Amino acid sequence: MRRRSSLVLLSLAVFFTALSPLVRWYAFPRLAKIPAGQYQAVVLEARDATLLDYGTMRPKKVAKVSIVQTLKGDVEEARRIDRATGRDVVVWDGLAYVVGPDGAMVSQVPERYVFDAHTQEPVHAGGESVDGDPVERRGVEFKFPFLTQKRDYYYFDAQARSSAPIHYRGTQEFRGLEVYYFEQTVPWTKVPLPKRMPVEGVTPQTVAAMGMERWYTTKRMFWVDPVTGAPVNGEEVHREEMRFTDGKQRPITAFAGHVKMREDYVRHTVDLVSSQRQAVLLMTSYLPWGSLLLGVALLSLALLLEARGRRPAAGGTGGVSGAKGSRPPRCGARARGWSSPKHRAASPP
Amino acid sequence: MRAVIAAAIGLVAAFAIVLLVTAVGPPDGSTSPEPLLTTVPAHP
Repeated sequence: MRRRSSLVLLSLAVFFTALSPLVRWYAFPRLAKIPAGQYQAVVLEARDATLLDYGTMRPKKVAKVSIVQTLKGDVEEARRIDRATGRDVVVWDGLAYVVGPDGAMVSQVPERYVFDAHTQEPVHAGGESVDGDPVERRGVEFKFPFLTQKRDYYYFDAQARSSAPIHYRGTQEFRGLEVYYFEQTVPWTKVPLPKRMPVEGVTPQTVAAMGMERWYTTKRMFWVDPVTGAPVNGEEVHREEMRFTDGKQRPITAFAGHVKMREDYVRHTVDLVSSQRQAVLLMTSYLPWGSLLLGVALLSLALLLEARGRRPAAGGTGGVSGAKGSRPPRCGARARGWSSPKHRAASPP
Repeated sequence: MRAVIAAAIGLVAAFAIVLLVTAVGPPDGSTSPEPLLTTVPAHP
């Protein structure tokens, strides 16, 4: 009975010990992925902002500007690109919809973002675009990779249609979570006007005909949960100007404000990320370490049982068993345990 | 010999279960019927 038990324990020990690296380095990279059908929205606000009135072409102070950022996964398109590229991809259709204090649209910029569901690397297929312009992303956008590292990443800037480094600036605590703080400063850059303008009849072409162009600068800040790679908070100190191409007139501020996530969305995001990180930790920490410890414990138990089975009875001819007179003393591999049939055959009867 | 067989069974079982789970993979789900928002939602 003890021999069978120790063999079962040995088998389980090997099972759990092998499971540990397999889960961490084989299963996790293949199972951890952003769901293709994800849908999420976040609201950001800039209070006491400056906004251009396109009717008068003068900047004005407003109490609040809201930005509604929606991301919606297109599962059918992701499957089509999967088949074409052989990669597990996510296709996000996004919309950054900017609303003025009166609830009217200020601008809207749609975009399509195609990326690897596991690594978050951009995939240049499926019509990735910003406001209808084809783009080729480098690095990340909206979200960082699983197990985010303490290093700089490339972050895609939808306004400039280009990627630039976003710098890791340290580890902080945010609402009870240990997060990595990233910061990117985009210097004054000439950027396209949104194709949908807030005033009827005003288009990027009419603005260009007036001899104006749009320039923008921003300081972008993210507090990122390093386990899931999801930002739990984001802010931007954002400025836009309409500049005259002749350079003779002073630029007009189109927007200036400190954009922050609305408090209820911060709470919601922190709650969501706190639960999602458990699933990632299960595969990167809890299961690998738990199964390794269990494997070592089971192996120890199996060895202990085997050693007890092999231990010779005290006194060779006496001892407990001898005293009872039930069996002759047995020892070595013959007694019980992990002996081979050959070994047993060679043992004396 | 029995110990080797027992260990091999444990190893094969571990590989089999991990390969099976990764082959099945998590579900993709379906495209959400929710629209891209053009109004400010009252709450998340």
